[in-house]
Amino acid sequence: MPSLYVHVPFCIQKCDYCAFYSHGLTNYSKELIPLYLEGLEIELANRQKDAPQGVSSLFIGGGTPTALPLDNLEHLLKLITRNFSFAERAEKTTEGNPGTLTREKLILLREYGINRFSLGVQAFDDKLLSNVGRIHSAQQARDGVLLLRTLGFTNINLDLMFGLPGQTMSLWKTSVEEALSYRPEHLSLYGLMLEEGTPLYDRIGEGLDRAESTGAEEVRREEAGESYCDGDRDQGLPDDDLQADMQEWAVERLEKAGYIHYETSNFALPGFECQHNLGYWRGEEYLGLGPGGVSCLKRVRQKNVEDVRAYWASLHEEKEPLDEEGKEILSLEECMAERMILGLRLREGVSFTKFREDFGVDLRDIYGDVLERYRYRDCFVIQGDRLCLNEKYAFVANGILREFVGGAG
Amino acid sequence: MAQASQRIRNFSIIAHIDHGKSTLADRLIEYTGALSKREMEEQVLDSMDLERERGITIKLQAVRLSYQANDGEVYELNLIDTPGHVDFTYEVSRSLAACEGALLVVDAVQGIEAQTLANVYLALENNLEIIPVINKIDLPSAEPERVQQEIEDVIGLDASDAILASAKVGTGVEEILERIVTMVPPPQGDDEAPLQALIFDSKFDAYKGAISYVRVVEGRVAKGTTMKMMSTGKEFEVTEVGVFTPAMKIVEELKAGQVGFIAASIKNVKDTQVGDTITDAERPAAEPLPGYRKSTPMVFCGLYPVETNDYNRLRDSLEKLHLNDASLVFEPETSAALGFGFRCGFLGLLHMEIIQERLEREYDLNLITTAPSVIYKVKNILGEVLDIDNPSNLPVVDQIETIAEPVVKATILVPADFVGPIMELNQEKRGTYLAMDYVSKSRVRLVYELPLSEIVFDYFDELKSRTKGYASLDYELAGYKESDLVKIDVLLNGELVDALSFIVHRSKSYNRGRKLVEKLQGIIPRQMFEIPIQSVIGNRVIARETVRAMRKDVLAKCYGGDISRKRKLLEKQKAGKKRMKQVGNVEIPQDAFMAVLKIED
Repeated sequence: MPSLYVHVPFCIQKCDYCAFYSHGLTNYSKELIPLYLEGLEIELANRQKDAPQGVSSLFIGGGTPTALPLDNLEHLLKLITRNFSFAERAEKTTEGNPGTLTREKLILLREYGINRFSLGVQAFDDKLLSNVGRIHSAQQARDGVLLLRTLGFTNINLDLMFGLPGQTMSLWKTSVEEALSYRPEHLSLYGLMLEEGTPLYDRIGEGLDRAESTGAEEVRREEAGESYCDGDRDQGLPDDDLQADMQEWAVERLEKAGYIHYETSNFALPGFECQHNLGYWRGEEYLGLGPGGVSCLKRVRQKNVEDVRAYWASLHEEKEPLDEEGKEILSLEECMAERMILGLRLREGVSFTKFREDFGVDLRDIYGDVLERYRYRDCFVIQGDRLCLNEKYAFVANGILREFVGGAG
Repeated sequence: MAQASQRIRNFSIIAHIDHGKSTLADRLIEYTGALSKREMEEQVLDSMDLERERGITIKLQAVRLSYQANDGEVYELNLIDTPGHVDFTYEVSRSLAACEGALLVVDAVQGIEAQTLANVYLALENNLEIIPVINKIDLPSAEPERVQQEIEDVIGLDASDAILASAKVGTGVEEILERIVTMVPPPQGDDEAPLQALIFDSKFDAYKGAISYVRVVEGRVAKGTTMKMMSTGKEFEVTEVGVFTPAMKIVEELKAGQVGFIAASIKNVKDTQVGDTITDAERPAAEPLPGYRKSTPMVFCGLYPVETNDYNRLRDSLEKLHLNDASLVFEPETSAALGFGFRCGFLGLLHMEIIQERLEREYDLNLITTAPSVIYKVKNILGEVLDIDNPSNLPVVDQIETIAEPVVKATILVPADFVGPIMELNQEKRGTYLAMDYVSKSRVRLVYELPLSEIVFDYFDELKSRTKGYASLDYELAGYKESDLVKIDVLLNGELVDALSFIVHRSKSYNRGRKLVEKLQGIIPRQMFEIPIQSVIGNRVIARETVRAMRKDVLAKCYGGDISRKRKLLEKQKAGKKRMKQVGNVEIPQDAFMAVLKIED
């Protein structure tokens, strides 16, 4: 049974670091909302057939789904529930920006069975928020969490970011501590990624190079006894070492607070792991609808066009609204590689049995040489039926994950 | 018969790099109409891309020009090009031996350089008539009078009637041609004498085999002649003889005084050694022409494919290059760190760089080159003398009685202001002072004996940087000297990387060992684990640095929407890493193996 993701390509204003497909809502882009909903109506109907047993979970993401006006939001929820049936007690998540929450919208979401809310807090610090073009204040985030609780959301995720321009270790700790004080069921802690084509990249894109060639400057600082965070480096990006320190500190702090570090960037109280996202990491099937949505059924992956008008037009012409790359047929090798690079993000790792069931070969036969090479320093841990990455390498996992792609060895 | 050779002139051009030799050659070809303008590619004589890019001649070429002089007669002028680098001194000497005259081209701004001087001496040894040409007089900073004076002072050559030229704009070209006709003596030699042809270059052709570029000194050669190489006694039947127009053109025969080529279906360029004499097997000359020696590689390095399965391709490519370049030698070797590769010998550093670049460019190979080494003569306790061209083959200390290293006699020409820095440099490089004199009021010639290994190390770069580029250098091998040498090994992550071992004088060992690990620390990227780097002499660690473990190399987010993109990103990164060599659990960038050359004393 696949999961269902619905992409809402609208937000109040795009954040400086965001590379996802979304329109900041202007008078012009507002006209796209009806086209979007019309297209989505057709697509939802067309794609029912891909989930004859219904879907296992729902995730309405974006963009900012809660940026939609109330009536549009209701229309969206109606379309989804009309076309798809859900597994019993299915997890249904909506994302939202603290600057877009209203009592009415949240009540509406509850009425349509949304039982999990993911709030993009990023930091409890106005300066850091405005540095990256977030539209909301720390206070709005606080109010948002309380409102969600008041309205009965018992499964809340808070997104926090580290590595923000100007962020120091102590600012990071402050945000994490405040987040913990609300005892959310789930926390996602993301290291900032500089993505090409974003305003942040253009502004401090060269910081990428700097971050990669750390070495000398760090050593100098270390030897000089300087801390990384001194001075007025308001727009300066914390370097890799500081980011690593931030991550390490947070992992320890959250584990102490009872959260399970169940994926590279995700933490949950026991039983509150995000079922929808676990599906991706475990290699299960998914439908991704709306412009820019990506579906993967069996070995066929397809991406919808990132253009509301083109999306609408295709659907009206009874065509699939795919982007120019069309359908990607994954080779067995690519599927296996993905299983590894996704599964090893998880604390639970990759199941040998499931690997054999899904691909008809033994994981050890395919990747034996990699496992052997990295036995050195215990990079892998085998727990019963599962192959896991040693947690100590979680933050440098790419070095190992690369071994699984582009042909083994 | 002697009549015909009266109208032949054989000459070459002596010039420092960048002093305009190739441009001048082009102008001469153009002026005499050997090629129409349309046919002329810029700088015809430098036929390899690499040569053109670097503005140097590596492979010799020759061209026959037909020139109607002011006396009304048509002359056959044979221009034999010479490579302009110290690595190829022997080849230059053979080219000059094939001529009766030489144009000495000196830059009107720069003046005489050491390399030019060395080649002028070679020309004088060969009794060549020298015609001074002061080139680039069109430059605003040209000082022809000063340069004229310098030619007189330094070489002792009357330069009062030096030709003032600008090859770039074409000034002086006709005067040069006239002067060649009037001043360069016609070749002597008897068409009827037993054949003696001097090989000044050779080239491999897929259809014709190894082709000898020759100057016929005595006698004649034609298709059907059974020719004999006088150094080896090997015999071949001549299939073609011809001249360079500059394209190869077959002729009936080549006679005394002429320059051309001989093809004889020879399978290997090794059989057409530069400097050897070709004679007629049926009527052999009593003696070969003087001056032949086998080309001896001076500098050695290991060449390894980054991808192990490129080994066969590397071997094939080396064999192909060797077809045209007998001075390149190579034999298989195995490195514990780098796997299967070749130990290659070169005439010098430039030669090494050129071969490397051609392998990478023309044969698309991804290579690791180890730091160059010289041949050490090691006497072991049994009294045997071993030639060690790879530091990792040096016997263990208690097996060694003595080690001797090659030394060169180096001549440095430098403005007087820089004598101090040069002496200091030579001191640091373990040089022995031999002589110093003023070649003009402002220029000094210094002669030192220097270990070749120091020249291979970073001498050129230091020389240039300490004299703002004004010094020039020439050197020749001057034998072997015993020296107090030690081998430094490098351990990465506790494992010996044999390809990083090097031999160094004991007095410098501590310093270089320490600098090398510091350099490697900068070159080796941070990896998943901490990597200790140690340099050791025997069992003693002399320096240690650590490449700290990488701390962040992760995809923060990876959800359904961008799994493909993230997988492709990892694939791309993996492909990028292929330029590094995995040694044990450490990824080592290619330039790490040359790091020892990039440290300063």
